[in-house]
Amino acid sequence: MNKGDVWPLSLRLVHWATAALVFAALGLGTYMVQLVHDPAERFELTQTHKSIGITVLALTVVRLCLRILTNAPKPEPAAPLVLLAAKLAHVFLYALLLLMPLSGWLMATTTPVRVPTFVFGLVELPYPLSPDLTTYRIAHTIHVVSAIFLASLVVLHVAAAIIHAFLWQDRTLARVWWRRSPVA
Amino acid sequence: MAQSSQIMPARNVRTFRWLVTVCALALLPFADTGEATAAQGWRIDEAHTWIGFKIDAVGFPTTRGHFNHYSGKVLIDFDRPAKSFTSFTVDSTSVDLGSQAFNDFVKSSPLLNAEKYPTLSFISTQVEKLDSRTARVTGNLTMLGVTKPIVLTVNVDADPSAKGRTVAFVATGTITRSEFGMAFGAPLIDDALEITVKTRALTDE
Repeated sequence: MNKGDVWPLSLRLVHWATAALVFAALGLGTYMVQLVHDPAERFELTQTHKSIGITVLALTVVRLCLRILTNAPKPEPAAPLVLLAAKLAHVFLYALLLLMPLSGWLMATTTPVRVPTFVFGLVELPYPLSPDLTTYRIAHTIHVVSAIFLASLVVLHVAAAIIHAFLWQDRTLARVWWRRSPVA
Repeated sequence: MAQSSQIMPARNVRTFRWLVTVCALALLPFADTGEATAAQGWRIDEAHTWIGFKIDAVGFPTTRGHFNHYSGKVLIDFDRPAKSFTSFTVDSTSVDLGSQAFNDFVKSSPLLNAEKYPTLSFISTQVEKLDSRTARVTGNLTMLGVTKPIVLTVNVDADPSAKGRTVAFVATGTITRSEFGMAFGAPLIDDALEITVKTRALTDE
């Protein structure tokens, strides 16, 4: 496997960091809204959720820049329909990786219950818009629907990676992994 | 309230209950000062005192909090109840919601604005007996620099397990926070803010 067959290290790092953060944000978001009934715990978890989300946004922006600046490896040979499905799934994943945190940011900005966001307690996130209940409700709906789509796409993405690695035994997963192949 | 009739033979039970009701809000804790609070021989049982609040919101659990630092006083006129007086002051920076981050936010300018308004205060203006175990205490609440009258209902109960005379009070009332300039979060956060003061007054007499 020559160098052109794998994703650049920077993109591999961003990919797995994003993966971990998306799992955390989706899990935490669902958990805190559905299962946490203690207001103090909900407050703190919401701050953490916002910090994770805004980090995903930053990483995605960096990632898109890296995609422009670096060369992606050629896809493994597959049926045209599979390649098209993969392309579409990746485009939607990127779109949702932007839409999720942006809609969350819009929620935090426009909610009448505006709580300052200190990203991991370090940097205060600016709120560019004024509170507006209608905008907040629209943003909230987008955020929830996007979360469902993103979670579904993550499942599809992981399933596809498993199929590539273990069923078709190609190097799709290996190219984004640390070693030549994740499977012996 | 058999306990009351046993421990206060010199006065009839009705009078006693009325008087302790007058004390209800006034006999607030003095934990900050560390002093044994006494008013007409009564003192506050600090271990059984709690000043708190509750507020509902859309999409967020019902929030309950309390204040850790406060002070108060009471003057009771046994013969002329209308002359009785009580006041208390709460340190708004001592608000406690179970999380430092949450506390800091509630202390900030959209809500308690503790830096500019470090205290909340209540001064009674009228006490009315409703029945043998309940009173209505009217007074002025000052919050965020705005003073408005509020009404608290006080339930009075004796604690037969304690030595001496012990009377427990639970005062509750609801304020409209926007009237005090605290409009933050509306309409997602309720305008109604419920206040509860629980305390226990003791006397060795």
